[in-house]
Amino acid sequence: MTLDPTTAAGDSLPDALPTDGPVEFSQAQLLADPEFEEPLIAGGVRCHGGFIDGEYVSPRTLVRAPAIEAWQGRLRREGAGVIDVSSEFMPPHYPSIDQAKLLLREGVEKPIIRSLTMISIVEGFGAMIRDVPVPDLRAVIKEDISGTALAHLCAGLFEAHARDEAGHREQGGHKQMWEAARDLAFENPKIPGDVLARLMQGRGRNRRPPLFPTLPDKVEGLIATMANVMVIEVFADDVFSWGEALLGDPEVSAAPEAASRMVSYIRADEHPHVQYLRTALSEIRCRTLLTVDGHELSGREVVDGIMAQQVRGIASSRPAEQREALYEEIRGDVEEKRLSSELLRRFSALDDGWSFPRAEDEQIEFAAG
Amino acid sequence: MISKIAERGARSILIGYVAACVWLRYKLPTWRDRLTGRDPKSRDLTRIHQKNAEQIYRTATRSQGLLVKMCQVIGTRSDVFPPPYVKTLSQAHDRLPPREFEEIRQVVEEDFGKPIDAVFSEFDTRPVAAASLAQVHRARLLDGRVVAVKVQYPDIEHIVRTDLASVRRICRIYEKFDPQPMELLPLLDEMNSHLALELDFRREVESGDRIRGLFESNAAVVIPEFYKDWCTEHVITMEFVSGIKVTDLEALKEAGIDFQQVVQGLMGIYTRKILACGFFQADPHPGNIFIQPGPRFVLVDFGLAKELPEGFGLGLFELMFSMMTFNDQSMIRAFDELGFETKSGDKSTYVELARRMIDRSENRMFEGEFTEEMTDELFEAIRENPIVQVPIDFVLVARAFSLLSGIAHTLGHRANVLEAMSPGATQLRG
Repeated sequence: MTLDPTTAAGDSLPDALPTDGPVEFSQAQLLADPEFEEPLIAGGVRCHGGFIDGEYVSPRTLVRAPAIEAWQGRLRREGAGVIDVSSEFMPPHYPSIDQAKLLLREGVEKPIIRSLTMISIVEGFGAMIRDVPVPDLRAVIKEDISGTALAHLCAGLFEAHARDEAGHREQGGHKQMWEAARDLAFENPKIPGDVLARLMQGRGRNRRPPLFPTLPDKVEGLIATMANVMVIEVFADDVFSWGEALLGDPEVSAAPEAASRMVSYIRADEHPHVQYLRTALSEIRCRTLLTVDGHELSGREVVDGIMAQQVRGIASSRPAEQREALYEEIRGDVEEKRLSSELLRRFSALDDGWSFPRAEDEQIEFAAG
Repeated sequence: MISKIAERGARSILIGYVAACVWLRYKLPTWRDRLTGRDPKSRDLTRIHQKNAEQIYRTATRSQGLLVKMCQVIGTRSDVFPPPYVKTLSQAHDRLPPREFEEIRQVVEEDFGKPIDAVFSEFDTRPVAAASLAQVHRARLLDGRVVAVKVQYPDIEHIVRTDLASVRRICRIYEKFDPQPMELLPLLDEMNSHLALELDFRREVESGDRIRGLFESNAAVVIPEFYKDWCTEHVITMEFVSGIKVTDLEALKEAGIDFQQVVQGLMGIYTRKILACGFFQADPHPGNIFIQPGPRFVLVDFGLAKELPEGFGLGLFELMFSMMTFNDQSMIRAFDELGFETKSGDKSTYVELARRMIDRSENRMFEGEFTEEMTDELFEAIRENPIVQVPIDFVLVARAFSLLSGIAHTLGHRANVLEAMSPGATQLRG
């Protein structure tokens, strides 16, 4: 892969940064809830978020949502733009809606229950973002980072993200909300005993060598983590569409409206995650990073390089491996039910056979708008 | 026969004597307090606990047999016994004086039905390890393969039965006379069933094979091959695999083995066994884990292999997750899923336990890791709340993770179970 030749260390910011409204916030502000008129209760569990005028409002967005807008506005005024990942790289959820419905109609529930449970667990693991080691960014970024999302990563943004994903104190988060959606749609199904074993399959992949060895480890680690989570969150949009459509289908769901609505609430909650990560990465992108050997690297070169690596990692080979593993599971579940191979043939026929739209050596570019 | 009866009598008297000493050390101060009008509950019992634990430990290491095993069991039951007992008696691992070689030869020859040199061309008379039920010798089969031979002590079954009967009798007397007795008989029943399994070495071979099967696609996990022709109820003959003891820092360093990789690998192996597969070695102490360059992990001793009930892994995962996220409602559900029971049937009694653990969490004492301090805290909360009954599986798993945490800390790292499971773990380590 070649890097964009326009990425030079000269993409830096003007000395005086224009601001419009407050851009500095306390952790308490970034974690503050709007005043809900009614809490969200899912499957008997008090979840985060709630309702105002009958509309669902995401948790911890009283200040966080306008804060992210303010940081993005500032970036745009500076002409830097906010980085985005094209939806063309987004691998579709497997099994597809049609495939999932076919299995459910034929009484093969296990792969879908497993899949929904794994989604809930992976969402819960999102809480580990609060443990990401964050270096002293002021020491490694040449320009000032006051009044940016970057300066607020450890001052509320990561913590809010963690709480949204896994819940906090008496409130459930996305993990519990996915579980509630699953239990509503399939009436408290038995959870397959192999869920954790499946989840741990593929662990132990070798760590990639650093792309930018002259950057401090923690700096590349932080950027890679943010890029990784952002790409996953962007690609999760397809999972939400899948979940809303499948769990909202009265043909296969016992509580189509309630289950589908639950997924739509999670989807709404994910919006601030994508936005703050896009913002923080874009803020690095328009700055200059200091290397351990006393040189400078363009933030754009670093962010785009790492983003491209993440997109390829998540969207090119992994979905194919996952499809293969999932197909094997489904085959096992179908055989367990003693159903004919005809079902597997029909299942395979519904596969759209998606593949990554870029060749191995083809460059991936990111638009910033 | 007469000598066996005499031995049985002597052991019973010794056990009775120790039990009386232990009991009197608690009772005399209580009686004195009552006479002087002092509240016996206000007395700090730590020193008495320590003195008693030391006497039991000394007696057990001298007399061996069930007493050593009992120490090991008490050493795992932080939910029942105070810390001085747990800390002192859990040392009863790996440190026992070996038996004479003649006794070992007798067992091997009886079980194989032929002289020892009809099976082995060499047999080292000095054992490489000695434990409470058996010891291990290095040997060479006639075809040249170097093997480790684990041999059960000849009289161990008899000693175990004698000691168990004596201890049971004493417990009955104690429960009859003490107005507020600890429930020790269920512990003895549990020990009895474990010992019956541990004494049948054919089961250990089966367990080892099963664990090998869980890791057949993972070349980093080495379970010594068993030579079934030479495995019996009392003898296990297995491939001799060398490795560095997991806590031998100098040797590991010399071999160029990365400590962090050792911890990550070990956590990956145990989280897979416990959470994902529901079958694990309940006693992963450093004497059972060896490291080869790579690193590769040599696991031995499957006598205490344990099958977990269906859904246990998911319940444990939920418990750890709820602790990490300070979510007390989820924690209460997890306690329920794991089989915790309240004597009143009222689930709200878990709340206090959950809150205590969560307070511990918020002080960042629990970060996906069952440290010794954390399990101590949990079990102290359980001991102080007699309403809650803990499933033995949970106790064993917590103990296993706490042992792993100890190994990780010796190696200068943390044993984060959730990180070992996390799908994106490598990304989250900066």
